[in-house]
Amino acid sequence: MGRLLEHHAKQLLQAAGLAVPPGGIAVSETEALEIAQRIGKPVVVKALVPVGKRGKAGAIRFAENPEDAASISRELLGATVRNFPVEKVLIEERLDIDQEWYVSITFDKNRKVPVIIASLRGGVDVEELSHSYPGEILVREVDPLSDLADYETREIFAELGVKGKLLVAAAGVLAKLYRAFQRYDAYLLEVNPLVITRDGKVIAAAAVMSVDDSAMYRQAGLMDMVQLGSERAWRPLTDLEKRMVEVNESDPYRGTARYTEMLDGDIGFMCGGGGGSLVCFDTLTALGGHPANYSEVGGNPAEEKVFGLTKGILSKPGVKSLFVCHNITNNTQVDILARGIIRALQDLQVDLSTFPVVVREAGVNDAAARELFTAAGVDYYGDEVTMTEACTHMMARMKKLLADGRPS
Amino acid sequence: MAILLNRQSSIVVQGITGREASMVTKHTLAYGARIVAGVTPGKGGQEVHGVPVYDTLKAACAAHQLDTSVIYVPPAFVADAIAEAVANGIKLILIPTENVPQQDAVKCLALARRAGVRVIGPNSVGMINPADCVKLGAIGGDNVERCFVPGPVGVISRSGGMTAEVSWMVKRAGYGVSTSVSIGGDALIGSTIKDLLPLFEADPETRAVVIFSEPGTSQEEEAADFLSQGKFTKPLIAYIAGRFTEDLPEGTVFGHAASIISGNYGRPSLKAAYLKKAGAYVLENFDDLIPTLQQVLGPQSAVAGSAG
Repeated sequence: MGRLLEHHAKQLLQAAGLAVPPGGIAVSETEALEIAQRIGKPVVVKALVPVGKRGKAGAIRFAENPEDAASISRELLGATVRNFPVEKVLIEERLDIDQEWYVSITFDKNRKVPVIIASLRGGVDVEELSHSYPGEILVREVDPLSDLADYETREIFAELGVKGKLLVAAAGVLAKLYRAFQRYDAYLLEVNPLVITRDGKVIAAAAVMSVDDSAMYRQAGLMDMVQLGSERAWRPLTDLEKRMVEVNESDPYRGTARYTEMLDGDIGFMCGGGGGSLVCFDTLTALGGHPANYSEVGGNPAEEKVFGLTKGILSKPGVKSLFVCHNITNNTQVDILARGIIRALQDLQVDLSTFPVVVREAGVNDAAARELFTAAGVDYYGDEVTMTEACTHMMARMKKLLADGRPS
Repeated sequence: MAILLNRQSSIVVQGITGREASMVTKHTLAYGARIVAGVTPGKGGQEVHGVPVYDTLKAACAAHQLDTSVIYVPPAFVADAIAEAVANGIKLILIPTENVPQQDAVKCLALARRAGVRVIGPNSVGMINPADCVKLGAIGGDNVERCFVPGPVGVISRSGGMTAEVSWMVKRAGYGVSTSVSIGGDALIGSTIKDLLPLFEADPETRAVVIFSEPGTSQEEEAADFLSQGKFTKPLIAYIAGRFTEDLPEGTVFGHAASIISGNYGRPSLKAAYLKKAGAYVLENFDDLIPTLQQVLGPQSAVAGSAG
């Protein structure tokens, strides 16, 4: 999953035949001034960051003249909005608004179908909309096998009470939006507001588009717009995270090695799979531990990938120990995990007498893993202990380490 | 008895000649399950561990009675393989493939739904009925009995790996499983927790069900509603992993693709509260599973359960 920046989303919508406000991208105050002068009307300045609720964060501002646009841009550029530094702003003509509507298309995960959500009360976020006007929101399921027929788009706006030429125009816009949703493998396409101008035009004034990264193999054109791995962090990826994405992508077909850096913490966290990592992180935290990162290894990765990830985990400043723990594996060869992990420990010349390494690995080839880990001098457990017990062992080692390190 | 799989299950592997599929076929046959045919276009006439390979599922169905399929094909080909299975009358489909595009998933899940075909997955490690020695997918690997022994507990897990760990914990507690099902970690899956509860309710062998959950989706809330409505009457024990993610900014994926919190949607603490209110046993620590099972089932069930 990857959220596109607004100008990219609008670029795609425009290519799909939708009207968007005239505007441009500025990376400096000077550029902002030029764009606003060219537009020659009051403008909107929007910080281009991949997060929601930008309005509430003060990242969407109005300017009456080019000088205002320039000074607002100066304030926004270099500021940080919900953890993301603003590197670019979008400057657009301020529309002459008659009405603001809401339209979005996404998947209903319970009903397992695409749904269209529409309302004539746009311009506020959808949570507020559903809270304040629950009766004025229309939710329409789309049959995934027959797609959205044109008549259905008319039914949607007719039910909302739209009439005349506007009904036909709005239906046409929705049909194009749905096709864009499909064409770009989006899992969310939200236009809020969909503006009806005083001269009757229907314009996508703001757009949010998130695309399915599982479909990137057939969306080569979107590659430059989506940062791989960005759904796994709440801020821009750190350098270490980017390196770990590279480690993972270097061998995309064998196993996964995912990494998310925590703000602080002292336990290097080398766990898997998807569910097992959650259990370990929760359990260490409940026992008073502070993992320095989150990670997930699974799907039988090659030794090189395990080696790369372990080195990454150990390289984070402040890491004082390493915890390696999986659920009992169905198909991941734990001897290969052992080889990659031990190589990383040796490569970084980790002194096991001062740097506790606790391992709980059981499953495919665990007899070999036990030999490897034991020979390397690592505190190894197999399926004689539970995952929780392994966490307890880790915390006992950590507490001793921290107590020993305390000045007497 | 168990759910979904039994001794009569007649299994085809679509994509059988692939590396993973071939290994899984070997392990599954060794365990005792009946894989009677395989399909790989262009490789008809070959054999994989003694199983005949056909170019089309249609040809395989002409030669064999088939009701169950495991689909081992890359993400881009999953939708077509499901359509092929549905068109040829397969009744149960397991999809291990991860990263199936969502646009494809909605289409083929709708196709299967309309035809009354049950789908487990995508992104499932498999399912297993140890009393009958039948399994689908990589679940259990080549050392099945380590984690999966027969008994009175049904397991439903949103994590493939934890399907094994939970079943192993059940064994450690002194019991075994009637059926363990890895339902898949994707946001769009064929069978949710609530979809499988009625099957376990109807299965006389199953005396309790354990679910392993994660942040994201509303599967646990739906399961809780099902309980509240009195439609599931056996003890339900739930562990919901990923509580730490609630303390981080929302919208971040941890673990599986479906594991994402948005607003109050998907929060483990709310899922736990909801399930508790509906009468489920919600575990604080994962290890509490063992005493909770013992409390719920009593000491003698371990023996009674393994008779099935």
